[in-house]
Amino acid sequence: MKKSRVVIIFSKQALSPTGIPEPQIMLKMYRRGLELLSGVPAEEALKIWFKPEDRIGIKINTIARRALSTRPETSVPLGLWLGKNLGGEDKIIIWDRTNEELKDAGYKLSTSPGSLKIFGTDSRGVGYTQEPIVNRDIGSLFSRIQTDLIDASISLAILKDHGLAGVTAGMKNYFGAIHNPNKYHDSNCNPYIAELFETDIIRGKHRLSILDALRVQYHRGPSYHPQWAENCQKLIFSTDAVAADSIGWKLIEELRAKKGLPSLKEENRQPAYLFTAEKMGLGQADQANIEILEEEV
Amino acid sequence: MDRRDFLKFSVLGSTLFLGGKNYGVTSPLKPFSQAASSQLSRVEARYYEKLPDREIKCNLCPRFCHLGDKERGFCGVRENQDGKYYTLVYGQVASYNIDPIEKKPFFHFLPGSEAFSIATAGCNLSCKFCQNWEISQMRPEQVKSVYLPPEDVVQTAEQYRCPIIAYTYSEPTIFYEFMYDTSLMARRHHLRNVVVSAGFINPEPLADLIKVVDAIKIDLKAFTQDFYTNYVRGELQPVLQSIKQIAGSKAWLEIVYLVIPTLNDNPEDIRKMCRWLKAEIGPDYPLHFSRFQPMYLIKNLPPTPISTLEKLRAIALEEGLHYVYIGNVPGHPAESTYCPNCGKLIIERYGYIIKKKEMSGNKCRYCGQVIPGVWS
Repeated sequence: MKKSRVVIIFSKQALSPTGIPEPQIMLKMYRRGLELLSGVPAEEALKIWFKPEDRIGIKINTIARRALSTRPETSVPLGLWLGKNLGGEDKIIIWDRTNEELKDAGYKLSTSPGSLKIFGTDSRGVGYTQEPIVNRDIGSLFSRIQTDLIDASISLAILKDHGLAGVTAGMKNYFGAIHNPNKYHDSNCNPYIAELFETDIIRGKHRLSILDALRVQYHRGPSYHPQWAENCQKLIFSTDAVAADSIGWKLIEELRAKKGLPSLKEENRQPAYLFTAEKMGLGQADQANIEILEEEV
Repeated sequence: MDRRDFLKFSVLGSTLFLGGKNYGVTSPLKPFSQAASSQLSRVEARYYEKLPDREIKCNLCPRFCHLGDKERGFCGVRENQDGKYYTLVYGQVASYNIDPIEKKPFFHFLPGSEAFSIATAGCNLSCKFCQNWEISQMRPEQVKSVYLPPEDVVQTAEQYRCPIIAYTYSEPTIFYEFMYDTSLMARRHHLRNVVVSAGFINPEPLADLIKVVDAIKIDLKAFTQDFYTNYVRGELQPVLQSIKQIAGSKAWLEIVYLVIPTLNDNPEDIRKMCRWLKAEIGPDYPLHFSRFQPMYLIKNLPPTPISTLEKLRAIALEEGLHYVYIGNVPGHPAESTYCPNCGKLIIERYGYIIKKKEMSGNKCRYCGQVIPGVWS
């Protein structure tokens, strides 16, 4: 079996002394991460994953507002760099559920022609599909950003402990692409996260997972609790969404062990959806089948 | 807006509902102000516990959602904000109509009366066959609403001469605080309150609710946990507990069973259910077998054959239930009420219309048999 590759890039300078991501360092981390992931220069790598005509969505996570969201200092440099190398920044959409959440997380909304787009599903004229789309136990209206406005997707999610799912990262981030995520949190979000990811609308467009592990909530997530959040200054990259999240889980377990907390398994909330996803053929959850490349920039 | 204009909206809703569909607020809403999505209510919820680290546990329904800061319950309309739990739909009415009480359906509760009927967004279940999913399976910011606080609901009901307020369409449990306060106020104005619910609510809030409402209709979705797990995302036992609790109270009870071909139409299960109903609450509460129409996530099945409904009704009568109806089949003889003593037709219905009523007070006009219900 071919192992899935996951790249972890660390930088001591990723966060400023006040905890804000440094855009120039972010760009350096993206470039090196994608180089290691693909084995070719970063700009070349983009052409492996994206077609020239692709409109690319960067799905971020702003539910915890400014305290623990994908910050603009993290996502905007990626969007601008993608635009520069893939034919124009106006083809790139940074998005989440609502404009209010985006603004609360520090984003300035943008729909101007020729520029990077930043807006939520609740923007006028966007919204959700009219009819539910069904896959196994999932039945949801999907954001029309995901269905109609993009061809390819990057999940740029915050890595967090999650009281129900165990871990929330790149796959669960797509709960923000449906109208009824509240319906899919029972049974440890299992199998719902995997079944949502399996839909053509998500999996068919997903190209990359990039986990924002700059500041990781390793306990009592997904809400922000500063006493259980750690500045890790890492980004985690993979084309295998399941493998990326599995390594995110590993990082959370390492932090929990370091702080003397019980493991997620001991708390009976390990992210079982990852193994469901593996069984469904969506990627590798078993860490023995994941090749990890780690580097500091 | 006069009564005629208002009824135009209602007629739209009612007509479409015959086909199993109710629309939310889609029409010009002259009398009420449109609520913007940013104007979700922020009224503290009842029945919850504060936990350490700004977490809460909701005790309203058997899900007992355990929520961190900024998280919402399964219902999508109750949110933890900094360790305090709020209802986001207090007064946020996503659908309203004046409906005949028979539409709920209540057949033994003030027949021929009109009910001012309201709902907010949200539901604590996730039925794959939901007939009102455009509001029930939505979060409040995803639907248009009008702002109607309790005093305006009561005033509107009075203005349109409706003797009843119905909490219906989605799942009233999830707008509990709004329903409760409105019911209290309605009682002071001598209006009746009826609730159309799936009964997935905890005993304590239900006990409090029963004190301020006059009738509750329970949608019993099936008589197997398997169906509740796979098609409802809920539990059967709490619903049965609710049925017993209501039957033991002063509130009137009717039960609806939506028959979905192949999924919950097993005659043996129906027989068990009827035996349970007779043993636990007696034979006198009406049971309605309703016809399914393809909807929401179950569009691959045809409408329920009328012969199936008739077969299940026959089983219920065999098991000794006295008032067993067939619903969503306008013109069917089993829409009407027959005296269990003399067998005569005592209330003749066509759809939601009462064609004939042969009762004197609460008794059969022919033989004097007392017919249970609320008749005046």
